[in-house]
Amino acid sequence: MKALDTYNPFTIAVYFLATAGIAMFCMQPILLALALIGAMALCILRHDVRSARTHLGFWALFFLAALLNPLLSHNGASVLLVIGNAPITAESIFWGMTSGAAILSVLYLFCSFGAIMQSDKLLYLFGKLSPRLSLILSMGLRYVSLFSEQWRKIKQAQISLGLYKNDNILESARGELRIFSILLSWALENGIVTANSMSARGYGTGKRTHFSIFSFTWRDGLLLSVTLLLAAGTIVPLALGAVTFTFYPTLHLHHAGALSYLCYLSYGALVALPILLETEDAVKWKCLRSKI
Amino acid sequence: MEMLKIENLTFSYPQSTHRVLRDVSFGIEEGEFCVLCGATGSGKSTLLRLCKRELAPNGQRSGQILINGTPTEQLSAREAAVRVGFVCQQPDQQIVCDKVWHELAFGLENLGLSQNEIARRVAEMAGYLGIEPWFDRQVKELSGGQKQLLNLASVMVMHPDLLILDEPTSQLDPIAAAEFLHTLSKINRDFSLTVLIAEHRLEELVPMCDRLIVLKDGTLLGADAPDVLMPRIAQDPALLASMPTAVRVACAIGDQSYPLSVKEGRAMIAKYADPTRILPENAPKSGRSKALELKNVYFRYARELPDTLADLSLSLYEGETLCVLGGNGSGKSTMLGVASGVHKPYAGSVLVFGKKLNEYKNQTLYRENLALLPQDVQTVFLHNTVEEEMKDAGVDLSALPFDLTPLLGMHPYDLSGGEQQLAALAKVLATNPKILLLDEPTKGLDAEKKQHLLEILRTLRSRGVSILIVTHDVEFAALCADRCVLFFRGSAVSDGLPRTFFAENNFYTTAARRMSRGYFQNAVTARDLVALCRGEEVL
Repeated sequence: MKALDTYNPFTIAVYFLATAGIAMFCMQPILLALALIGAMALCILRHDVRSARTHLGFWALFFLAALLNPLLSHNGASVLLVIGNAPITAESIFWGMTSGAAILSVLYLFCSFGAIMQSDKLLYLFGKLSPRLSLILSMGLRYVSLFSEQWRKIKQAQISLGLYKNDNILESARGELRIFSILLSWALENGIVTANSMSARGYGTGKRTHFSIFSFTWRDGLLLSVTLLLAAGTIVPLALGAVTFTFYPTLHLHHAGALSYLCYLSYGALVALPILLETEDAVKWKCLRSKI
Repeated sequence: MEMLKIENLTFSYPQSTHRVLRDVSFGIEEGEFCVLCGATGSGKSTLLRLCKRELAPNGQRSGQILINGTPTEQLSAREAAVRVGFVCQQPDQQIVCDKVWHELAFGLENLGLSQNEIARRVAEMAGYLGIEPWFDRQVKELSGGQKQLLNLASVMVMHPDLLILDEPTSQLDPIAAAEFLHTLSKINRDFSLTVLIAEHRLEELVPMCDRLIVLKDGTLLGADAPDVLMPRIAQDPALLASMPTAVRVACAIGDQSYPLSVKEGRAMIAKYADPTRILPENAPKSGRSKALELKNVYFRYARELPDTLADLSLSLYEGETLCVLGGNGSGKSTMLGVASGVHKPYAGSVLVFGKKLNEYKNQTLYRENLALLPQDVQTVFLHNTVEEEMKDAGVDLSALPFDLTPLLGMHPYDLSGGEQQLAALAKVLATNPKILLLDEPTKGLDAEKKQHLLEILRTLRSRGVSILIVTHDVEFAALCADRCVLFFRGSAVSDGLPRTFFAENNFYTTAARRMSRGYFQNAVTARDLVALCRGEEVL
């Protein structure tokens, strides 16, 4: 059982929005280091990113950012080497690594977010805004999967009939086009059945209500308030300039005593929150099981 | 008071003088389980749709349809939606939402019920119908049987008085279909819910229904208990052909008892029993070469999934018809994919006329060698008329073993299931295949269309085409196979000539075999049984 999945979608959305939002806009190396460690740990703990190739791709992006920036921006006092006429500075490399960390932590956070927020949870959020929008989205999602499945089936049927030629690009483009055109007729044909099924079940006979299987419990209230508290604890010192980091001309970290510590502690706790929930859940489960 | 009463109903579609329904009158009492039967085109669907106001077709209508005493047109919109529930053929297209729980709640949301009320009704229904284990799933992950059960459940949550089903199991395999029908009969018994169902699959339905309603060319032949109606049905060979095996055998041997179920059939056969009689098996000619051979084939869809085919070895000899039977997920359809080169096995080899599949370059495999007719025949069509379809594939209409000319002007999607099957088969035959692979060719076909398909397959076989059929339909396999193979967990577990094969199986076998077990040695079709009871020889 994954602990975070059991919370109300609203709570989950607020948590990820706060954590990723801070990581995206702070440009502060210490906060971003915390974000990156936390986001990666969560992703690995929950097995949200399964393939090693995805991890490698993410880190390639990080190194790309770290190397590309010094090639484009030549600010900074400590010159490491000169390529052509362009100086490569340590500050510029550090700026690249920091922005790479921002991208990477947001990517990892979104991987977990995507795995937790499945379509029905997203729809629940939209449903709060408009029940009609939520129904349209749900039907849309249903149709996308129907459509792609039928596309695959038609293509396979045509291949085994020897009618689908993919010897060259032109032929295979023509083949895809033929499939697309028949898919449109198919979708219209099936749309009628779906419309019938909707009206047969009273669609349009009166005002619709919106049903969901999610409820907002005291646990959600608790997690939501902790999230907001910790986010405020991070954002307020950030806005007051208590942890401002300047890259150019030389690297400099502004320190403002207790307020700075509050910022690091709050964000560290915020990032660690889901990891704590996951492990607490696992430990609790083990204890319960040992009693059985 | 009758739950449904139809009085002098006559109906014709717009711009047509042909009356689809002519002066139909009958009534259904509360709690009855009624089966509507008749050949394709006899007006079954039209009649059912007229009973559900939202789905009623446009056209000229006279006569009345009363739901619990109220004419359908006088019901309020909400009442019309709630009191009559409707489930149709296509499991996929009826589903509106992408999640199971959302689909269950859809109708109740439309009625504007409160969150608590919806939660209670949905929970009740999911528990009763055993949907709980997949309540959170996405619809696309469900099997066909589960989808149709979901359609039934999402109509049942609205608490209808009358449940109408239009061929709900025609897209399901026999096992899922039988489960669906038993659930239906359980609902009928538990809640005394009135059920009106149109079906081709009458073998199981007729013994369990209270009332049989028979339509023939738009007129009512009768609406009464099956045993009362049976003597009249027996007069009509086309109708009789769709009835259960037991009653067909009884009529053929002139027994007046009209048994419906296998149990009643056994009681009748007992009078003629002679366990010493053995029907001869049509032994295959020896020394034939192999048209298609799968050697120790292993296949899986993805690395982390288990093997779908494991150490599968299978041969199709030249000029034979081989039927592959087996449960859902035993790898039958996957085997066809591997044999036709759509899926690549990770171990083992596939040989077509002794040559490996990958040695057929530039699609020579699909020219005059091998062709596959998929399960969903709609996927074969790409054009707006059957004629364009035939022209595109280069079909020689005069060489076909059946006549397509009446269908040429129509859109392939407007054809009936059986006609679609024929048009698709014509397209497949255009490449002059020596090996024909068929995936569930009898799905959705009525008795008459099955007989037609059987004759076509026999013609093809006499022309020397080797045919491999994957099917759940044991009755059809018993009629058309030269050899049968049973699939289990991705490999072929038993192999035999049809009479021996079905006689040795105790559960996976035909109704005729189940009726005659212990009375005759190897009767597997209705024809076998009739011959044995009459004391004739069968070849």
